Amino acid sequence: MIEPELPAGASIPPEAGSPAGPEAAATTGRYVVVFAEDGYEPASVLGTAGLANVASSRDFHGRAVDAAETAGADATVFDTLGIAVVSASPEQLAALQTAGGGQPVVLSVSPELVHHVLAPADYVHGYRDGVADLAARLDRGAAAAPAAGPAFEDTSQSTWGLQATRTVQSAWSGQGVRVAVLDTGFDAAHPDFAGRSITLQSFVEGEPPQDGHGHGTHCIGTACGPRTPSAGPRYGIAHQAEIFAGKVLSNAGSGTDAGILAGIDWAVAGGCAVVSMSLGADVAQAHPPYTAAGQRALDRGVLLIAAAGNNAQRPQGNFGFVGVPANSPYIMAVGALDQQLAVPYFSARSLPGRGGQVDVAGPGWQVYSSWPMPGRYRSLSGTSMAAPHAAGVAALWAEATGYRGRELWSVLVQEADRLLAPSADVGSGLVIAPQ
Amino acid sequence: MVNICVTVDREHLSTIGDIAEALRARGMQVTQVLQTGFITGSVSEDCRPTLAAVSGVQAVDEQLQFQLPPPEAEIQ
Repeated sequence: MIEPELPAGASIPPEAGSPAGPEAAATTGRYVVVFAEDGYEPASVLGTAGLANVASSRDFHGRAVDAAETAGADATVFDTLGIAVVSASPEQLAALQTAGGGQPVVLSVSPELVHHVLAPADYVHGYRDGVADLAARLDRGAAAAPAAGPAFEDTSQSTWGLQATRTVQSAWSGQGVRVAVLDTGFDAAHPDFAGRSITLQSFVEGEPPQDGHGHGTHCIGTACGPRTPSAGPRYGIAHQAEIFAGKVLSNAGSGTDAGILAGIDWAVAGGCAVVSMSLGADVAQAHPPYTAAGQRALDRGVLLIAAAGNNAQRPQGNFGFVGVPANSPYIMAVGALDQQLAVPYFSARSLPGRGGQVDVAGPGWQVYSSWPMPGRYRSLSGTSMAAPHAAGVAALWAEATGYRGRELWSVLVQEADRLLAPSADVGSGLVIAPQ
Repeated sequence: MVNICVTVDREHLSTIGDIAEALRARGMQVTQVLQTGFITGSVSEDCRPTLAAVSGVQAVDEQLQFQLPPPEAEIQ
């Protein structure tokens, strides 16, 4: 399948280049060798390549490695890192690169680069250019997207959101990862979920876990929908994840702390790695129970993810604010993006102060996903749709890396595509799936 | 009566049952005791101020209400 190209203008162009200018970086003539971590003794590997005069950081017994003392050596080994700097002939380098006879003993050999302090003139020019660019963008209006380029589009194969997050080409499925979605429940009879591992629980008094609203089924579809739906394009990310559908909102769409905290408690006790909450209250102050719940969940290796909120009316100059529970410092807040990776009119902006930040962003405009039968599918917009994209991507990263809790939060943020939209609106940017 | 959520501090999680009893003794109607450290229920406005003094209580907060738009709304 041919994927559409990334739309220009919405994310950082690849030719942005380095601040130091167009000249190639200078090298020292030496090489930096990275060794595999599994017990290979760097000094003996170097020895087999003909490099006998080896200084090691271990010889310095806790002092810093003194360059004057190692100057005469063929190689200096930094034992803690498993990395060496070597002076080597082309033959010795070739021997190093093939050391181990098929086993990955040496991971890389690269020229040693010379580094410089960034020249003050370059820095100031860069800053001036950045301010001029920002001023020009602001002049275009509060709701302006970066220069309009081609947008992502749903195709017959996959939704635009799965293309934008590079889920379509991801080799990961969320296998072995438990994902909880706390919402209006789930239509467990939906044909697209036959054969999936699904645990259902209602925390709404007097109502069974069956989804009588639709919102929960839509969000679970985005986070965990199948690779090959019964009809139409793929719309779900973690297609092999184990689904925990917790009904914490009634069929009329309402809920309280009691039900939501019970759902979080259940998801944590049930071994879920990710909990997705597309719900919120328009309260600017962080609510203490969610601050505690988020922190305790992270301590147990569980990442709570929540929609930032839809309380903005950006064309009127109202940027909204991140509400409860997303504004808890320990809960990941997800803002919305449209097909041009611009911020839709309703998507809430970060609050000043601790916890109120939008952390990442996800597709949240005209998101096609599952809906209770007989409707089967529906397109909706909202930060409610963005949060399960982040949750599904988190499940893929959890499988790919084994990370949980705070480390999983870190990798989501590190691997997000930085956007030209303000970080107050999109945090570190668009969540991207592991490839 | 107001619906509340009592957050129990980390050091007292293992004795959350006893804390629930102490809260009941001070007039709280306890509905749930959650092992992650939350006790939910309701209390009269008169009795509410006495709950924070129970040893191991980190916070006493009125429960918030959450409401989705109706199913036919386009922005969720």
